[in-house]
Amino acid sequence: MMMGLHMSHPDPPVRLKGVGDSLWITMDASLPVEVLKKELCKPFERLRHQAVNARIILDPGEKALDEPLLEDLSTFLKNRFQVGRVSRPPAPKAPPEDASTRPDPENGWLYQTEDSLVIAGRVRSGQKVEARKHLVILGDLNPGAEAIAGGDIIILGTLLGTAAAGQPDNESAIVVAMDFRPTQIQIAGYVAAGMSSSAGKKPEFASLDNSRVVVADYTKDNPFKRLAWPEVR
Amino acid sequence: MDGKIIVVTSGKGGVGKTTVTASVGAALAKQGKRVAVLDMDIGLRNLDVVMGLENRIVFNVVDVIQGRCKLRQAALKDRRIDNLYLIPASQSDEKSVIKPQNMTWLCNKLRREYDFALLDCPAGIEQGFKNAIEAADEAIVVCTPEVSSVRDADRVIGLLYARSITPRLIVNRIVPQLVEKGDMLSHADVVDVLSIDLLGLVEMDDAVVVSSNTGNPLVQQKESRAGMAFNRIAMRLDGHPDLPVEDPMAGRSFWQKVGKKLGRKNRTAKR
Ligand SMILES: Nc1ncnc2c1ncn2[C@@H]1O[C@H](COP(=O)(O)OP(=O)(O)OP(=O)(O)O)[C@@H](O)[C@H]1O
Ligand SMILES: [Mg+2]
Repeated sequence: MMMGLHMSHPDPPVRLKGVGDSLWITMDASLPVEVLKKELCKPFERLRHQAVNARIILDPGEKALDEPLLEDLSTFLKNRFQVGRVSRPPAPKAPPEDASTRPDPENGWLYQTEDSLVIAGRVRSGQKVEARKHLVILGDLNPGAEAIAGGDIIILGTLLGTAAAGQPDNESAIVVAMDFRPTQIQIAGYVAAGMSSSAGKKPEFASLDNSRVVVADYTKDNPFKRLAWPEVR
Repeated sequence: MDGKIIVVTSGKGGVGKTTVTASVGAALAKQGKRVAVLDMDIGLRNLDVVMGLENRIVFNVVDVIQGRCKLRQAALKDRRIDNLYLIPASQSDEKSVIKPQNMTWLCNKLRREYDFALLDCPAGIEQGFKNAIEAADEAIVVCTPEVSSVRDADRVIGLLYARSITPRLIVNRIVPQLVEKGDMLSHADVVDVLSIDLLGLVEMDDAVVVSSNTGNPLVQQKESRAGMAFNRIAMRLDGHPDLPVEDPMAGRSFWQKVGKKLGRKNRTAKR
């Protein structure tokens, strides 16, 4: 899963970007602590009041970030810039068999540990959301934005951008939206554009029927209504 | 002084960034603030022309950054409005002569000298845009009621949020008659897609073109609807954040509070 909302820069020792509701700092942890502090000041001075109470994630990249250093930098940032919680990046992989290790709810989307992905918010032009399996967006997908999923795409909001479900070859995948006005729909390898049976404003879904993408009213023609037994998608 | 740096940007070209920068700058200065407007469109300067100051330019923003003159030497005083200064772009350089770290330095200087510095950003999302937003505290996104403009504005909004800059929206060049006939997107449609705070709605107004040809500031023309809209935008930026946004579609004297209703805050990015 990735969101394409970061601009690239040459490689300074400390880099800062907004990720979700946090500020993500990538830094070279092998530098002396004084140098690190000096470098940290640069982006934070630029942000000024916007850093107040912000959640900070210190990412040492490949290198190790030991506890005393994390503690030291955390105290420094809190005192100097009144930032909120300072932490390491969330663990990239939780062991899948252990259901009790849930991903950090606020940063869960950074490293997808489950196959399906639920995100809230508006996906804007130029941004891209990807899920290995199903993708649920509690919000809108704007024109120029892309949603890509191995399984279904469910948008509890307005679909105006491009949605590609069932990638690369799951022909049973569907795309559902509360307000269905996509720029383009792809299911498995099939592409369709500018097709809404209504002018939007009601829940519709797209599915494959004989190698063609078709759109129908979700409340009337819900494809799962006639299933004999609830099943896992 | 601890001034505010506001970048005026849009993604798409020709939607009114320069007009907004000049008019909002003038209106803020009329309200008694010390204001600098900077032309960051290096290589294609025109803020000086719109303000009627082109024949006074000696130094420009690149000269300031490269240490050839002091900030005050490059700042041209407006002919008609006190407390308004223009720092022109260089016409002969390329955007790449300015580096993001230069902007941090420059903006720190501006904060000390002015209450507001408005940066007129070039179109696009390349180097010139990145420079202009590098050290900005806030952003004004200008958009016209056209699908392509909305798309570009949306892209820019995403990039601004990624830099923790909170954008506010001005919808410019609204033609109420066309909206009424359904031939133009309504501002509500635009706000609906972009969902950021609405700072103002500006109608298409011939006075804009006349003013940029005569140098007579729009915001001093009482009969100009665009000029009055810019005055109210300046009030919203300075001290009256809740001043209702006047709906060009509503009856001429009817004020509707669309600011709160339509300007749904997007809180995904940390301020
Ligand atoms: N509200 C308005 N009513 C009428 N004309 C307008 C209005 N706003 C802008 N214009 C006109 O539109 C043209 C483009 O405006 P402006 O130069 O401000 O756009 P810009 O975004 O700065 O363009 P660029 O991307 O080229 O820098 C100008 O001729 C200007 O006079
Ligand atoms: Mg311009």
